[in-house]
Amino acid sequence: MSQKFERVQAGEKVFDWLLLLLSIAVLIEAYRIDGIPGLNSPGSFPMGLAVIMLASSLVILASHRHKRRDPRIRNARHEFQVFFHEHFQPHIVVFTLFAVAYLAAIVWVSFYISTFFFLAVMFIYFRQGRVVSSLIIAAVAIAVIYGLFTLVFRVYLP
Amino acid sequence: MFKPILAPLALAVGSLALAGTAQAEYPERNIQATIQWGAGGATDNVARSLTPHVEDILDTTLVLTNRAGGTGVIGMNHVMRQRPDGYNLLYGAENPLLYPLMGLADFTYDDMHTVNIIGQGLVVIAAPADSPYDNFSELLEHAQENPGELRMGGTGAGGLPSTVYAMINAVDELDVRTVTFGGDGPGITAMLGGHIDFMPLSLAAAGEQIRGGEMKGLAVLTTEEIDSLPEVPPITEALPDIESFLPWGPFWGVFVHEDTPDEAKATLESAYEEAVGREEFQEFLQNFGAEALNLNGEEAEQYLDNWQSVTAWAMYEADAGILEATPEELGIPRP
Amino acid sequence: MSDTFSYLLMAWLDPQLLLLTAVGTLAGIYVGAIPGLSVTMAASILISFTFSWDINNALALMVGIYVGGVYGGSRTAILLNIPGAPSAVTTAFDGYPLAQRGEAGRAIGLSTVMSVIGGLLGTLVLAGTAPYLADMALEFAPRDYFLIAVLGLLLVSTLSGKSLARGIFSVALGGIIGLVGMDMVTAQPRLTMGSMALMGGIHYVVVMIGLFGAAEAFYQLHNLNRVPVKQKVDKIIPPLKMVLKYLPLSVRTSIIGVVVGALPGTGGDIASLFAYDHAKRTVKNPSSPFGEGAYEGLVAPETANNAAVGGAYVPMLTLGMPGDAVTAVIIGALVIHGLNPGPMLMIETPHIFWFTVGNLALANLFLLLFGLTGIKVFSKVVEVPKALMIPLILVLCVVGTYSINSNMMEVYWMLGFGILGYWLKVFGFQMGPIILGVILGPLLDETYRQAMSSVGDDTGQFLLALVANPLSLVLTLVIVLVLLSQTPLKPWVKRRLSRQ
Repeated sequence: MSQKFERVQAGEKVFDWLLLLLSIAVLIEAYRIDGIPGLNSPGSFPMGLAVIMLASSLVILASHRHKRRDPRIRNARHEFQVFFHEHFQPHIVVFTLFAVAYLAAIVWVSFYISTFFFLAVMFIYFRQGRVVSSLIIAAVAIAVIYGLFTLVFRVYLP
Repeated sequence: MFKPILAPLALAVGSLALAGTAQAEYPERNIQATIQWGAGGATDNVARSLTPHVEDILDTTLVLTNRAGGTGVIGMNHVMRQRPDGYNLLYGAENPLLYPLMGLADFTYDDMHTVNIIGQGLVVIAAPADSPYDNFSELLEHAQENPGELRMGGTGAGGLPSTVYAMINAVDELDVRTVTFGGDGPGITAMLGGHIDFMPLSLAAAGEQIRGGEMKGLAVLTTEEIDSLPEVPPITEALPDIESFLPWGPFWGVFVHEDTPDEAKATLESAYEEAVGREEFQEFLQNFGAEALNLNGEEAEQYLDNWQSVTAWAMYEADAGILEATPEELGIPRP
Repeated sequence: MSDTFSYLLMAWLDPQLLLLTAVGTLAGIYVGAIPGLSVTMAASILISFTFSWDINNALALMVGIYVGGVYGGSRTAILLNIPGAPSAVTTAFDGYPLAQRGEAGRAIGLSTVMSVIGGLLGTLVLAGTAPYLADMALEFAPRDYFLIAVLGLLLVSTLSGKSLARGIFSVALGGIIGLVGMDMVTAQPRLTMGSMALMGGIHYVVVMIGLFGAAEAFYQLHNLNRVPVKQKVDKIIPPLKMVLKYLPLSVRTSIIGVVVGALPGTGGDIASLFAYDHAKRTVKNPSSPFGEGAYEGLVAPETANNAAVGGAYVPMLTLGMPGDAVTAVIIGALVIHGLNPGPMLMIETPHIFWFTVGNLALANLFLLLFGLTGIKVFSKVVEVPKALMIPLILVLCVVGTYSINSNMMEVYWMLGFGILGYWLKVFGFQMGPIILGVILGPLLDETYRQAMSSVGDDTGQFLLALVANPLSLVLTLVIVLVLLSQTPLKPWVKRRLSRQ
């Protein structure tokens, strides 16, 4: 086990660099509140936290010196391939895209309709068929949500 | 759905405004009501006490949410960003009338529709029970000898304490440290522990504590002693010149988006008028240390304009430097 | 004295009150279990029903909702890794691994019994020491709240897993998320990137649902075809031996819960974090390592957050100041019923106090009843195939987020936090520190600035105040000790001490 922690995952270094960029962006945004803040001003905490983010992301990057890539990964190109294969499997990509489309659809075609379609399509896709049972389960889920949220707790859904 | 009295009125307005049939059923679902200040404060108490009466009249549920912070800008901004369908109400206090003046926001209640001005509160300057000062003159005297030493509780730029502070400074001089809290409630908690020296509070929030002997009233912001707090001197005893700003007090109102359908506005207005007029709520207001107003339409507009001009000019005369814009620039007439 | 007894037992003997408490508790469990539906919301909705009722009936229902709701959050935390309420965030740390190991039934059973123990101890403290505890709570000045928040920050080492640097980064990131919005003092926008939509800040339940629920849904996509763990549902009611074993820990964490709950401004969420940290520090040989399904990691937060309920009633009943949002709603209910919550409440209407105490105890017994029944059905939830579970979790996250403020924008943010959470999780970051930052960031900022303003922005005075006041001194010392115990200084100090 302990050996495993020394290994970097595919894409980890890039991600840590992105965190550094995020810290710099936050620092700039914090600076825009009131420049170099005093000890008791709106900007003091945001600025302080941004500096902490920056410092810790530098430490995280520095720790890469003690870490090695998985020996099975040959070069940067291969690392990218491994990363892509790991996190961009077809079903993950499809689910993410459908999730985004689902959220966009709620505003246009109302909550219940879009939820039903989202659930039905995802069930059928993940279970590779079994259309009828998928539709039934989606319908039951919708009924439960309607009963619980709209009838019992009277939450207004769009 | 409607109470018999309201039905003809709502129908009349509804048929004028929109020919739709679905709208005639307003409200057909829960109404979201946003409270501009935190839980336990004066605005919160008024809203939570009035709402059940309104729910009863409208036969629906009002879901109350506290959205405190930024002197109420956050709550008001939230409501203004919602769909103007009459399903989002704002329970607000006086502060939004000063937003442009303070540079907090470029909107005021002029940008919303006033459903009802519920009532006006009295203001009391309170101190901890073991405070060395018995009235406001003593505190003022001490503060002038030791400027920048006393700790005053505040609720942020444009909040009630900051307005009262401005009025005092318009006629005299008071230099203190301001400690900002999320609302009356946390301020009172800090005062009970002796962590601040005084705080201008609405009588509604502080009355029970003062009567219970946990806090001391130094002055009421009126020209005469009031029945609910006997023996607390009026502020004019310490500062006679402040009379030109009085009577003054925080108020609470209910507002909706300006573009709300007229039919919904009318339904809400009559519902709130009836609710505020109910004996139980009137009794509550009295116990609460507030005066019922129950204004809507033209009267409400007038009340808001008058309040804005008195306060804006007081703040301007106290310290024009803290303001982002002069009342003149904003077209606020002199009182 | 006999009066006190009759008020204490009032809710137990009157069938109507008994029924209302039961209904409230049951409803509370399910409201609490659904992320996004908060106890505060349920209580304020129900207030309108109780408007025309007798005050005792209204209070009985509220007490039930409150007790049930605080407990209910643990259900979804254990089964789905989605804390139903902020105070159940910590429950997920060890509860979810337990469920994945096939012990969902045992985890729910144990958390129920421990919640009840915490709730009863909290009630006991409320009954015994309310006025004293209220006075103590008032002693906490802004600087003391600041110190508590700093103490909370030190939990980062407990929560950050293998890499402290990653933990610190996450806390700061959480703090930044928590500070987005308008400044409380000057009302100027902070970190909003010019967006009006961000002026009101980001609701922390949105962050929580995104980071835990949605991120988990994405993460589980990797295990789509793995057969779910078969749940052992035979040992649901924990054996007496087990309860007794954890009793000392639960007593300690209950005390943490009551005290933190009694402070106006801090509640069950912070209490459960402190309790978890306490357990991790003091329990040397947990049943499994913490974070991998330790029973102790479940016992501590569950007792603490239910004990915090009793604590939250302390300032409400003695001072008329709410200890949290739910008690603020109950104060509203009292006002509507013509009572004046304030320091006179206990003197003029002592029956309200004793009635509440008796009622809290009753609600906890109902919690035991409802909490231990139906577990078999519940724990089967984990056995639902991932292909069905993952889309359903996402839908639940959407509904839950939307019901907070009826704001679609927040649903988009939730998804954004879900995707961010997925990547953070992949690269070894923990969610705990981020939530810690979101909760503590604004508290730190607010209390620090109050403390600084109180001393006239004088840093020297500020530092002096931290050691000059007995209460602050104790807190400062605790912070220093904790710091020493977790830094490399510890062996050094030990060596120096032993040499002498």
